[in-house]
Amino acid sequence: MQTHIISLLVEDHPGVLTRMSGMFTTRGINIASLTVSPCEKEGLSRMTIAIEGSESELEKVRKQISNLIEVVKVVDLKAGGQGRGNGGGEAIVRDLCLLRVHAKDSEARSAVMQLAESYGAKIVDAALDSVTLELTEEPERVSRFVDLMRHFGVKQLFRTGVTAIGRERD
Amino acid sequence: MGRAAKLSGAEIVVAELKSEGVEVAFGIPGGVLLDLYDTLYKEAATAEGAETEGGLRHILMRHEQCAAHAADGYARVSGKTGVCIATSGPGATNLVTGLANANMDSAPVVALTGQVPTSAIGSNAFQEASTFTITMPVTKHNFLATRTEDLPKIIHNAFYIANTGRKGVVLIDLPKDVLAERAEVNLHPRETFAGYKPNIKPNRVQTKKAAEVLANAERPLILAGGGVVSSDASEELRRLAEFLGAPVVTTLLGKGAIPESHPFCLGMAGMHGRLYANRALNECDALLAVGTRFSDRLTGWQLDQFAPDATLIHVDLDAAEINKNIQVDIPIVGDARLALVDIIKWLEKVAKVWGKRSESVWVQRIRKMHSACEECVKDVWGEGSSVSERLIKEINRVLDDDAILVTEVGQCQMFAAHFYMTRKPRTFVTSGGLGTMGFGFPAAIGAKVAAPDKKVVDIAGDGSFLMTCQDLATCVENDIPVVVCVFDNRFLGMVRQWQELFFEKKYSHTGLGLTPDFVKLAEAFGCYGERVEKPEELEAALKNAFESGKPAVLDLVVGKEDKILPMIPPGGGVVGMIGAERCRRI
Repeated sequence: MQTHIISLLVEDHPGVLTRMSGMFTTRGINIASLTVSPCEKEGLSRMTIAIEGSESELEKVRKQISNLIEVVKVVDLKAGGQGRGNGGGEAIVRDLCLLRVHAKDSEARSAVMQLAESYGAKIVDAALDSVTLELTEEPERVSRFVDLMRHFGVKQLFRTGVTAIGRERD
Repeated sequence: MGRAAKLSGAEIVVAELKSEGVEVAFGIPGGVLLDLYDTLYKEAATAEGAETEGGLRHILMRHEQCAAHAADGYARVSGKTGVCIATSGPGATNLVTGLANANMDSAPVVALTGQVPTSAIGSNAFQEASTFTITMPVTKHNFLATRTEDLPKIIHNAFYIANTGRKGVVLIDLPKDVLAERAEVNLHPRETFAGYKPNIKPNRVQTKKAAEVLANAERPLILAGGGVVSSDASEELRRLAEFLGAPVVTTLLGKGAIPESHPFCLGMAGMHGRLYANRALNECDALLAVGTRFSDRLTGWQLDQFAPDATLIHVDLDAAEINKNIQVDIPIVGDARLALVDIIKWLEKVAKVWGKRSESVWVQRIRKMHSACEECVKDVWGEGSSVSERLIKEINRVLDDDAILVTEVGQCQMFAAHFYMTRKPRTFVTSGGLGTMGFGFPAAIGAKVAAPDKKVVDIAGDGSFLMTCQDLATCVENDIPVVVCVFDNRFLGMVRQWQELFFEKKYSHTGLGLTPDFVKLAEAFGCYGERVEKPEELEAALKNAFESGKPAVLDLVVGKEDKILPMIPPGGGVVGMIGAERCRRI
């Protein structure tokens, strides 16, 4: 098992997301995360899909996605490794996390803040008994940070799912 | 790009359909389609004056499922895109089975559905269903038109997508206001979508590799699927088979890709295929599979028994089919005909194949296998033949080379696939992937409309025929004389056969009782009807049916417990067919 990231340019109109998610259901494919956002080209959106599975499963997904009429471009991005095809390169992968942690006493609060600092997380809100943190990092690092925070008690957790961009080579 | 004109949505639809070369549409009107049907009315009035030249013929069906099947049958026989029309809500949902069927078998169909006005979408309005989302998984692509001015581009692309690449179904959902409103548009645009570039030219490096493997093989075999028929590659297939000394086996949809009387043709392989077709798959050392997706009905369930010694070459238009069901050695993505042309060219360059192979041990063995099957088909009255088998063999003997055989689904279909020797491409029409009971008769309507000068015969079971027989009315009203041969065993025969073989003869809900009287049913619709008690009477009955000039139903009494054998039992592979004792040893 390996995490694969597929970056797509798709036509920006209603129904594209339904078609995409429907295709995954129809073909029995599980996706780890899916993000949709505007991109640099008008009329197109970017989708970033993370899939856990073998190389051959990834290949099947790629082909089925390419068959969709509204998909204009498909790029494989491999987290931290070499990307393949269509100009994909080593990818920069990010996941944004918003997390509310219990901070019952000053001891807990300072421990949370210390760990947050060492991970580069920002404190975006604070209340008497909780701290709200924001961390934008590689998904594995976000997961490690969340695990640490569970020690203090996580009240609420939000993650956006991964977005990724290929590295440019000179 | 045509000149700008101010037209209603409905007028745009009709103008673009005609511009795409559509001559006939199968449909049923409804509330939200009044504008479209009003335009069709004017169209018919104009066309009558102009002797229907360039006109658009509309055939009123009696059920939307039949409209879709008729468009499907029309497409398979003509190669042109079939068109069906249904209204919103129930009209559209009735269409779904037919669309799924056509799409599964890669038949080019464009479906137009009415929809409630855009302002009412999502309000659970009268006859509203979300056709766009319902039909997504059963179409190659679909559109929900939201603006009248988008219609020219949508319709042009619907036809382009349906009938290029791996063909399929495209649906256009048309809200009432989009059809009614007028807009200034440029008709006949040629603009396509950036995300759709069907790749039809095969890679020359791959075709060369394939040619080398085939040239060096001792026991090459070609497996021809529906892709050979739909890309009109029959001539190339025959040339390659003869040049290489390679026998051909087909899939169900590949029937007709090569004349089955050809000494190198071993007929259909797979679960209900011929013993020797499956044997050849098991024995070959190189397999060229063209235009097939290796469905489970072909491969059986023991994939390690499928062509175990062969180097596998797979030609398919759809890259997603490569390595989906079977891992192959040499994938070739592209059009079947172009790939075969390339392979033949390479072979002519590199090999002195033909002289060497023409009478190789393999070819001699194939000839023996072929004649064993041909003799079996010609032996109508021999011992061990069931009534069902005799009837199909008689139909095979009586029909001319151009006749089109359409089938329902189940035992009758497999008897036809096994014992009917298809002579030409596009003359065997059947529901392969979806296995839709009720497909055959309405598909026969479409076939007859596409080829009015040819005889069209539907091989039906009594179970299947009752699912769509109301469209006998369509045949009578529109003078579409198809002949339905009902294999009448008062059972859902295929399920009964499985209950007999694998569930200790516990016939749970497969008995159909005594109704109806099919001759009276035919007569009630104004069709010709005749009951055939014995296979000996079939030839005369068929003659009567054709000579009546009417749509006809022949009620053929068959053995209640006739079985279609041999077969691969559930869980088995291409070796180990059961019921093959009667096949001659070779």
